[in-house]
Amino acid sequence: MKRRKFIFFLLLPTLLLISFIILYPTVSGVMLSFKNYSLYNFQNIEWVGFENFKAIFSDPFYINTIWNTLEWVLFSVFFQLILGFILALLMKEPFKGRGIYAGLVFYPWAISGFAIGLIWSWLLNGQFGVINDILIKIGIIEENISFLSDPSLAMFSVILVNVWYGIPFFAIMILAALQSVPDSLYDAAEIDGAGYFTKLFNITIPYIKPTLINTILLRTIWIMNFPDIIYGMTRGGPAGSTEILAVKIINTVFYESDYSKAAAHGVVIISILFIYTIMYLKLTSKREFSL
Amino acid sequence: MKKKIFPKVIRIILLSMFFIFAIFPLYWIILTSLKPTQEIYSFPIKYWTNNPTLYGYKRLFEFVNFKRYFVNSIFVSLGASFVSTIFAMLSGYILSRKEFKWNYPIILFLFFSQMIPTYLIMVPQYTMFSNLNLINKLISLVIIYSGFGAAFSTIMAKGFFDRIPKSIEEAALIDGCNEIQSLFKITIPLMLPGLSAILSFSFVNNWNELFTAVMFLNTSDKYTVPVGLYSIVSKAGVQWNVLAAGIVIALLPTIIVFAISQKYIIAGLTQGSLKD
Repeated sequence: MKRRKFIFFLLLPTLLLISFIILYPTVSGVMLSFKNYSLYNFQNIEWVGFENFKAIFSDPFYINTIWNTLEWVLFSVFFQLILGFILALLMKEPFKGRGIYAGLVFYPWAISGFAIGLIWSWLLNGQFGVINDILIKIGIIEENISFLSDPSLAMFSVILVNVWYGIPFFAIMILAALQSVPDSLYDAAEIDGAGYFTKLFNITIPYIKPTLINTILLRTIWIMNFPDIIYGMTRGGPAGSTEILAVKIINTVFYESDYSKAAAHGVVIISILFIYTIMYLKLTSKREFSL
Repeated sequence: MKKKIFPKVIRIILLSMFFIFAIFPLYWIILTSLKPTQEIYSFPIKYWTNNPTLYGYKRLFEFVNFKRYFVNSIFVSLGASFVSTIFAMLSGYILSRKEFKWNYPIILFLFFSQMIPTYLIMVPQYTMFSNLNLINKLISLVIIYSGFGAAFSTIMAKGFFDRIPKSIEEAALIDGCNEIQSLFKITIPLMLPGLSAILSFSFVNNWNELFTAVMFLNTSDKYTVPVGLYSIVSKAGVQWNVLAAGIVIALLPTIIVFAISQKYIIAGLTQGSLKD
């Protein structure tokens, strides 16, 4: 078979499918954001220009939602990375039962975000929650805390849960990368009398930098688009204190049924992610998009 | 590394802390699912139950038709995972093996498709599928999940193929195989661990997807497991032992799949980043 035909036939199914399921709906989603399609108006759908965007930006609460989104993404990624890194370092050296340990410590990653939200909303319940009970028993707090119904604590709580969920992903990626660092590098450093932290910052981190860069970028994008945990815990409440953009879209689709406005929120997310990705790739001067 | 990273005691303490942090919620949800109703809200809180009961599970299967949701989820998740893995296998092979003009733009395209929020495209997808008369049908979810899966799985598959030496195929070509024969007879068998990693990764994602399913499925005989949980929560006055039982059942397949394929997934996810 001709080389070009071969390439064409093997790539075609995937590209067609992705065009049909992602590309085309994305284009029409962006177009939808300039129309007036809602449950109360699906007869005369027409172009309304930037009306939807004007509407969402004139909402005085919107800045709060964007701030929530940044807080959610930043703190989640930061703590997932740091704790995932520590876990990976701890697991690098073999120990008895490491395989089983890995399976148990990594399992949160396989659970649905919504189920995670439900589980933790029960654990953090202000009246019957076991976390309160434990904190009181070990003397950290004196009376029950309303983790999810207190607006000043709700964001902290959902981020805590997202960190719980995301540590395994970072740990898995970093652990695999750590295995690839040649021992000879460490041996050489040791002859030079390098200490643990010198080796960590001068050998380990530079060597696994590509993994770190790719993982952080991908996780940031995913977390930005990830309403499941918050939805299972607070649905954006109380008083909008955990409402991030992705949750706002879901609420706009399911409760307001204003599909064009929801699409406009989606366009805001894509724009933020695009700017972020371009800046991120410039800063890290990395052009290799693989995992 | 000859010197220990952390002194042994600190290492054991830290490893135990990570372990407890990870495992405690699972313990608590299993315990809750087995507690009799009166113990769930009892004070002081009970960390163990002497009267375990399957009441929660019974309610779940008698009144919520969870069995049906489970069967639906298996169909959708397995179906979509197989389709996207097969597609990804073919395209990942090309992207790994062939240098051509569109190689890099396609990888870029796949990567950027990861950036699109599902929720932006949910409504246009709904419109498309309703024009095709495919609303409230499980097959629509199979198609949509296959599409989402194909992008990520192709990137993963490329990583796996990159690890298989080209020379093995070249030898087969010299022995008189054509390219397709060498792909199916030589390369794909070598790829089996990789493919099973990709398959299980997609399975986990598909099994857990909620919002597209909520949008597309509107009668309870079509619900998937996450939609079933979602509907239980929406109903007022749900009992926590019933919900906990639902969560435990929902966890089983992904935890089993993850346990089996964990080491392949780990290898698969990190392929590309290992080589630079």
